[in-house]
Amino acid sequence: MRKRAGVVAVCFMSLLLVGFSFQASAKDVITFGYSIALTGVHSAGAQGQIEAYSTWEEIVNKRGGIFVKEENKKLPVKLVHYDDQSEPGTAVRIYEKLITQDKVDLILPPYVTPAHFAVAPLAQKYKVPLVGGTAASVKLREIKNDWFWFVTAAMPDRQERALVDLLKDLKVKTVAIAYLQEIFPKENLQFLEPYLKEAKIDVVLLKDYPVAEKDLKSLLSQIKAKNPDAVVCLSYPGDTFTIVTQAQEVGLNPKFLFGLVGPATLVFKPKFGPAVEGISGMGNWSPKMKTFGNKEFVDAFMAKHKKMPDALNSTDGYVPCQVMEQAIEKVGLDRQKLRDYIAANEFQGIQGPVKFKGSENIKATAGVLQWQKGEMEVIWPKSIATAKPVYPKPAWPK
Amino acid sequence: MDLTVIIQILSIGLTIGALYALIAVGLNLIYGTMRLLNIAHGELIMMGAYLTYSLFTGMGVSPLLSIFAVMLLSLLFGLVICAGIFLPLVKKSSSVGGLESSSLLVFFGISIILTNVACLVWSADIRGYSYLTGMVSVAGVSIMYNKVVAFGIALFVCVGCYLLLQKTMLGKAVRALIQDREAARLVGINTSVIYFFSFGTGFAMAGLAGCLLSMFYEITPFIGMPYTIVAFIVVVLGGLGNLFGSLIGGFLLGLFEAVGVSVTSPGYRPILSYAVFMLVILLRPEGIFTKRKRV
Repeated sequence: MRKRAGVVAVCFMSLLLVGFSFQASAKDVITFGYSIALTGVHSAGAQGQIEAYSTWEEIVNKRGGIFVKEENKKLPVKLVHYDDQSEPGTAVRIYEKLITQDKVDLILPPYVTPAHFAVAPLAQKYKVPLVGGTAASVKLREIKNDWFWFVTAAMPDRQERALVDLLKDLKVKTVAIAYLQEIFPKENLQFLEPYLKEAKIDVVLLKDYPVAEKDLKSLLSQIKAKNPDAVVCLSYPGDTFTIVTQAQEVGLNPKFLFGLVGPATLVFKPKFGPAVEGISGMGNWSPKMKTFGNKEFVDAFMAKHKKMPDALNSTDGYVPCQVMEQAIEKVGLDRQKLRDYIAANEFQGIQGPVKFKGSENIKATAGVLQWQKGEMEVIWPKSIATAKPVYPKPAWPK
Repeated sequence: MDLTVIIQILSIGLTIGALYALIAVGLNLIYGTMRLLNIAHGELIMMGAYLTYSLFTGMGVSPLLSIFAVMLLSLLFGLVICAGIFLPLVKKSSSVGGLESSSLLVFFGISIILTNVACLVWSADIRGYSYLTGMVSVAGVSIMYNKVVAFGIALFVCVGCYLLLQKTMLGKAVRALIQDREAARLVGINTSVIYFFSFGTGFAMAGLAGCLLSMFYEITPFIGMPYTIVAFIVVVLGGLGNLFGSLIGGFLLGLFEAVGVSVTSPGYRPILSYAVFMLVILLRPEGIFTKRKRV
């Protein structure tokens, strides 16, 4: 019994200590809280975003922090986070805790669309601006203009418009589509199909497959039998791996091979080696781009994490941090003022300029990346391209 | 249906089937002898996959060589877990039912710990590597070498394990224990030794499965659970405690899935395997390869 009382006392004391440390530090740091998928289905993708956050923390603190008007000095940044196990419901509880109990100054977004949609009403309720990067859905446009929610990434309709424009430019005549049964790929499909029709590109095969499918050989054989110019896979990383492995097995080598999310992941090249050559994916960023803070970001990221940033998740994760930083420097830490400033002004990010209309970033560029000579190049749109498309895609290595 | 399609389906079904069999036999061995439901089986596979990955990318060790290291480590881990947690549990439990439920909780705990250890050590990034990616062509159907090799090894180990149980004295003792724990003890079988044997072997087979599938599937800390579920389906298909049933059941499920997916769509795979699972539970709950009704 006495032992148990001791344990309780220790727990209580440590809680008190945690409480004190928060209170004591409130004046000399800016705390940002976020919930993220450390475990569960989305954790692989979330990794790149977490690394972008910690890189930003380091970059800012090396500069001495962000200048805050109210305090008339630079304050360093401190990040607090919890694991939401890839469950949007848990993410909501965590943000509620961050805002009401931990009393963080501001919040950074969670990972991926469903979590953003779940958390956005909370940002509204507590009037804390939420600037997200790794979310996209045209439903954002239905959100009221006075909301506290902003998303920097390009929406699926613009993404698919960019892809179809590229296909048109490459004079692709026939396409086979395989899509994953998930919200984001399905939303992309909604736009891909009509745009292809408009561009008079034939869809010779359209098939779906479930999450965590391990064998797509039959599907890929069917695609091969139709011999399309381009194969568009509206995919996530895991299934992109399966597709690239098994396309080699069945000998499917279209002139253009696209994977929605996956080709831009870091492990893609170590996993497939020379076979990555010519494979395309969604994205609008390259380390070579001369956008605002890009070199600083890439250098700091490489130094801290000993690898290149993930072209999609890390860069999408970093842009909201840049927006927050620039807004705080102008108006301080008042949440309402921050929201109003973010809603009305233009910002500079590593993916290019950011300007919101409602919740949508109307300056976001939707683009296509391609592996060329072992590096990820932006091949579309031409305005931000770092290289010309390689077409047709080279044969698989022997 | 022409020959290439049939060979294509056979190649997919047999490769997956061999892995299913390997995974299920390992799970069933532990269940059969100790009445312990190892729901951390998939996590052991995941650990095996990561170890192989690290040995390959870190030190350039061929996955075919790391098989030995991974199996040995898994075996040792199995022995430690057996001695540290499960032997005391078996001794304490008064009824088989009580043991089954408490072991379920402990294994659940182990699975959570392993997943999080993997998260800490390797992070949640997707991992993978290329090994033996050349193609062999069978009647116009190309198959990657790594899958052929995995099939061969999985089949060899499954059959080896089966023969070991059928032909040796040790195997006889294991089977006796599966049939009746008390009676086995009465005729002088040292049950503790058998427990260690089945735990070690079951764990080593899970490690081996991870090692093999890391050659062609991607690895994350969360790949384990689907394999545990598949293993349970196969074990139910072949009969709880029936190792031969698991061996054949693995191949059957693999082939059934391959045929089903190719005539319908990949979207139906989970429906197909769960339909098999439910049909077996409804119609032959003792498993399709078990003759005797359980009392």
